[in-house]
Amino acid sequence: MLVLTRRANQSIVIGDNVVVTVLEVRGDQVRLGIRAPRSVTVHREEVFRELAETNRAAASPASDSLSALARLRPPRPKEG
Amino acid sequence: MSDTGSVPELHFDGGVPGFPDARRFVLMRLGADDSPFSMLSSLDDPDLEFVVVPPGVFFPAYEPEIDDDVAERLGLRSADDALLLVIVTVAERAQDSTANLLGPIVVNLHTRAAVQAVLDTGAYDSREALLPS
Repeated sequence: MLVLTRRANQSIVIGDNVVVTVLEVRGDQVRLGIRAPRSVTVHREEVFRELAETNRAAASPASDSLSALARLRPPRPKEG
Repeated sequence: MSDTGSVPELHFDGGVPGFPDARRFVLMRLGADDSPFSMLSSLDDPDLEFVVVPPGVFFPAYEPEIDDDVAERLGLRSADDALLLVIVTVAERAQDSTANLLGPIVVNLHTRAAVQAVLDTGAYDSREALLPS
């Protein structure tokens, strides 16, 4: 891991196109601004991990479960 | 914008988390004419596909706020330009299947640019049951 120290309003450049700027340091929180092209997604790490795990679990479901799944419909609202 | 025949082709500039190279997908209905489900199939990886559904079908109260970064990435000028889809994790028993409300797919209806957004408010689950248990 590359370790750099920055102050507020300083930046780092990743590759040619990604710029991370320290906007503000307040207490134990750091506010970061990220400029990246559309081909590069940016996520908080723990959220990214959650999404990646769920996407992997959802990817390419077994074909025999699909016809039952495709028949699911939301429950009809109860007539009051 | 390009279509494979008359089947809509979506493009995810950055792929989706876990599948960064899967950028082009086609969307086709899954099931009968009244089925709300579709299959999002990768054109880059023939083995990769996701079941998706518009969240309003099973989650009528789900009204995520699309943040500025997502709107900018997709060139959205208003909420009317956007289509939302959520990815379904299909369970062994179909009725136990869940939807990812934490990371909805947002599509620009005009350009077919798409991204998997994140609703980081803590209010949404990546595995929300489609049906009440």
